[in-house]
Amino acid sequence: MGTVIFGLRNVLRNKPRLALVAVLIGIPFFLFFAMQAIGNAVSRQTAVLTRDVNTLLQLRARGSMGHVNMVGQDRILPEDVLDKVRGIGNIVDVEPYLLAMAPITPPNFVMHVGLAPTAVKRLESHGEAGNPRIVAGRDFTPEDTGKNVAIIGQGYAQWAGIKPEDMGTATLTVDATRTHPVIFAMDRPKRDLKIIGTYASGYVFGDLQLFLPIDTFRAIYGIDRGISWVFVRVDSVENVAIVAERLRATVGDVADILVPRSAAVFTATTSRTVLQLVGAAGLVAITLMAIVVFFVLVMQVRERTREIGTLKAIGAANGRIVAQFFTEAVSLSLLGGAVGLAIFLIVGDAAVSRLFALGVGPFLPSQYRPLFESLAIDTQLSAHLLALALLVAVVTAVTGGAYGVWQAIRLSPVEAMKHE
Amino acid sequence: MNSATPLIELRNLAKTYRKGAETVEALSGIDLTIEAPAMIAVVGPSGSGKSTLLHMIGAMDRPTRGDVVVAGQDLNRLSQSELTRFRRTTVGFVFQTFNLVPNLTALENVALPMEFNGVTGAVRLQRAHTLLERFGLANRLKHYPQELSGGEMQRVAIARAIANEPPVVLADEPTGNLDSQSGRMVYELLREIARDRTVLVVTHAEELAQVADRTLHIRDGRLLEASPVTTTSR
Repeated sequence: MGTVIFGLRNVLRNKPRLALVAVLIGIPFFLFFAMQAIGNAVSRQTAVLTRDVNTLLQLRARGSMGHVNMVGQDRILPEDVLDKVRGIGNIVDVEPYLLAMAPITPPNFVMHVGLAPTAVKRLESHGEAGNPRIVAGRDFTPEDTGKNVAIIGQGYAQWAGIKPEDMGTATLTVDATRTHPVIFAMDRPKRDLKIIGTYASGYVFGDLQLFLPIDTFRAIYGIDRGISWVFVRVDSVENVAIVAERLRATVGDVADILVPRSAAVFTATTSRTVLQLVGAAGLVAITLMAIVVFFVLVMQVRERTREIGTLKAIGAANGRIVAQFFTEAVSLSLLGGAVGLAIFLIVGDAAVSRLFALGVGPFLPSQYRPLFESLAIDTQLSAHLLALALLVAVVTAVTGGAYGVWQAIRLSPVEAMKHE
Repeated sequence: MNSATPLIELRNLAKTYRKGAETVEALSGIDLTIEAPAMIAVVGPSGSGKSTLLHMIGAMDRPTRGDVVVAGQDLNRLSQSELTRFRRTTVGFVFQTFNLVPNLTALENVALPMEFNGVTGAVRLQRAHTLLERFGLANRLKHYPQELSGGEMQRVAIARAIANEPPVVLADEPTGNLDSQSGRMVYELLREIARDRTVLVVTHAEELAQVADRTLHIRDGRLLEASPVTTTSR
């Protein structure tokens, strides 16, 4: 009978005991798979949240609103800020804006916003939130650069008497000489802009804006150089803080840098804390798995020291005994791993969710707990993960088996047979 | 082996153990020569060193002092792998508690030492089959140890001990766990296998000692006297 078959038969000789050992080894395997599933679910959830999180930084001239005709708030950023900002890493978009105020029925006013035709139309005061959508007419195209065209908010359009069906034919006259308690006059000729589209934003003041190509804005207000605001989009929420730091170092002498607080909070808490927590739990699970497998196998071998003594007494070489017990150890470990995997696949979804709620959820920052309470657990396991589990199972089995066997075979046959 | 060379020769053999702070002298200055073949009973009170003597002869443990030469092999000079080969080919052991491998059948238990010795599968199974038939266990070949009586297990153990046809068989109280009827059957087997090999039997049983060719008396680790070989009892 070959050593391997002998070892495998030993594994099967006591089935209730085999079941107990397999479950003992299987439980930490299950925990490991569960922690990985939780980690994957949290990563997916974090990716979704990260996508929706504001990674937009805003630069304005220091201490100024940057509106070109606002009393006391008309200082704007120097033109070279754009090149400096574009030279910083982890920035995916740099969008310059020019802003001016225009009086309507006193004491109200509207905003005129100059931007690249392809840039995101952001609402003054609302930033990223409530991006406008075109409800009539059309949006800008690159061909609108430098042309006398504009897209008007539906509130502004209503005040100006422009109807949705007038898109492409209606005009609006921009008169920079008109004043307001907070708006000073600029000695510039009037200009008619063709209204090509109307937008809605869901905000009252948000709908009182007029977007026009930035070159057109410069021509209307006579602003040849400089920028009111620069919007900077960072490649990921994790890099917001570092980019803000680099911006401060590069243009901090001329610019106020507005960092979205939500991003900082999110970075500091959820993506870091939760992933670290789950990572630590995964590490604990794999360590637990290694410890349990190791000690179960050491005990398995130790309690058979007498049998090892007998085998030595009837002439078995140490190498043969080692090979036999390695076969047993690896078989038991793999069987335990299979049991753990089976438990995970059968009850994984419900059990892992419960495990997360009990084991990880309580440690989450309170404001993010609701976000993770309905994690979508996926019981699919990657080939890499299974390979890692297999590797740990085999390595700890061989280590545990080797340690136990080494303790037994270094004894003389008599000492081994007397072993309790 | 040269015919003039004794099968077993012990010279000034001693074995001491550490038991906490105490040193226990299990064997002290044993000199013994055994010519082949014979059935030899080793008798003495509990703790006198009988089993230790057997362990030294069977390379189951190392002596503290002195020489053990068995079948021309000086055990002190053998490496671990040579000692393993010695236990496989030169001696066979029979234990009081049988020590059969629990998940092997009677046939496989007997075949196991032959497997260690490199005997091919069919040959070793045939030889094991023959031995068990000879010992009256033809109907127990496929039985596992837990399905056998004490006497049957000891007969399987004796068959296993002689599977590689060693010149020496060492039996440590082989009837200690058996009823008298099974014990008698074991004596008979030991006597039978002692026809062409030397069998050393540690025993408390007077009956076994009486049928031995020679009796060694041990007390406090010392060999007191050895009854001469008697051929009449054979």
